[in-house]
Amino acid sequence: MDTQDLEQQLKKLIIETCNIPDAPADFPSDAPLIGPESPLDLDSLDAVEVVVAVQKAYGVRIGGEDSSREVLQSVQTLAEYITKS
Amino acid sequence: MTIEFIHRQSAHCESGVTANLLKHNGYSISEAMAFGIGGGLFFGYFPFIKINHLPLITFRGAPGSIFKKCASRLGVPVTSRQFRDPQRGMDALDASIAAGIPVGLQSGVYWLPYFPAALRFHFNAHNLVVYGREGDEYLISDPIIEKPVRCSSAVLERARYAKGALAPKGRMYSIGQVPGEIPLAAAIRAGIKEVATRMVKVPIPLIGVRGMRMLARHLQYWPDKFGDKQSIIHLGHLIRMQEEIGTGGGGFRFIYAAFLQEAAAVLELPRLEILAQEMTQIGDMWRRIALLGARRCKGRNSTDNTFPALAELMRECSLREEKLFRELLHVVKK
Repeated sequence: MDTQDLEQQLKKLIIETCNIPDAPADFPSDAPLIGPESPLDLDSLDAVEVVVAVQKAYGVRIGGEDSSREVLQSVQTLAEYITKS
Repeated sequence: MTIEFIHRQSAHCESGVTANLLKHNGYSISEAMAFGIGGGLFFGYFPFIKINHLPLITFRGAPGSIFKKCASRLGVPVTSRQFRDPQRGMDALDASIAAGIPVGLQSGVYWLPYFPAALRFHFNAHNLVVYGREGDEYLISDPIIEKPVRCSSAVLERARYAKGALAPKGRMYSIGQVPGEIPLAAAIRAGIKEVATRMVKVPIPLIGVRGMRMLARHLQYWPDKFGDKQSIIHLGHLIRMQEEIGTGGGGFRFIYAAFLQEAAAVLELPRLEILAQEMTQIGDMWRRIALLGARRCKGRNSTDNTFPALAELMRECSLREEKLFRELLHVVKK
């Protein structure tokens, strides 16, 4: 799967997992994922949902010495992390 | 003056600073190893100590203890000082840098300008390394930030003298010369023994697996005791303490699993590899509590995320951890 497809898949997964009915149709992959500048308005509690959903869908655990703050910076960084894991 | 210092990012600030300072002095260990040798893992629930009106729940040992214990167990000399007078504290920092010694600083996160606004909160036990000064700016290796950063002297002084709980009071520390022979295996055993003893042997109901059970008992009745709004605030607080603040997730259980994995190779104890896997699974279970709790906080209620259901999961975590730490005590005693 190429990077763009993975990013689109992740956006869909995040929107479904965090239950965001009024999510924008699309948003930049490098936009902040968590925090006040997030286009999806995700907070740190949503981050837990994203981490678990990614582990379930892709078998990739975000944690330990891999800083989840860095991995969850944007959909782009998340896709890069999944690809290299 | 700039000291050549290699910046490595880490999940947790104190173990990251410890590993980075050791590496600078010629002894390379991972963040997980520094965390494990320093006896970083813990569980404590202190309902009578309030931080921002919420009970103190901690998954790690006291601030400063990982650095001190890790260095001491490896036989590495350390210097640690506090200064009542901020000017003296900043002068001592300058003197160390001029002498070519990178300095670890305890500081308040809230004042550090390079932290994204969303991550700034009043936490005074954050650790970073200062490795140089250019004009009015200090060069900083903050292990939870991706790249080295800078901070003005006035702001750094404010962060070093932040007021409130765990106030740093200008605390600075550094590492002396690393000895030729490092007692790594003995240090690992000592770190494991300390954590395992604290988790299962200390007869205080607030800490270790007993502390988890007490929290489970209390959590179950939070809605009755505090009402809906406050019980959700308490639950959100528990999740943040566990999954944020540099824990590496699962309340430091994933970092500890990485440490056990490395320890298995050093001590040539394959059983530790199995226990590392079990620790990871326990971390997943803590994360499940966080996941279900987060859904409740967001109003997505179901039968599996009621307060009694979350309390039951926490009891299961305590039982699995009790079994694991008892076996760890047995394995490292041999």
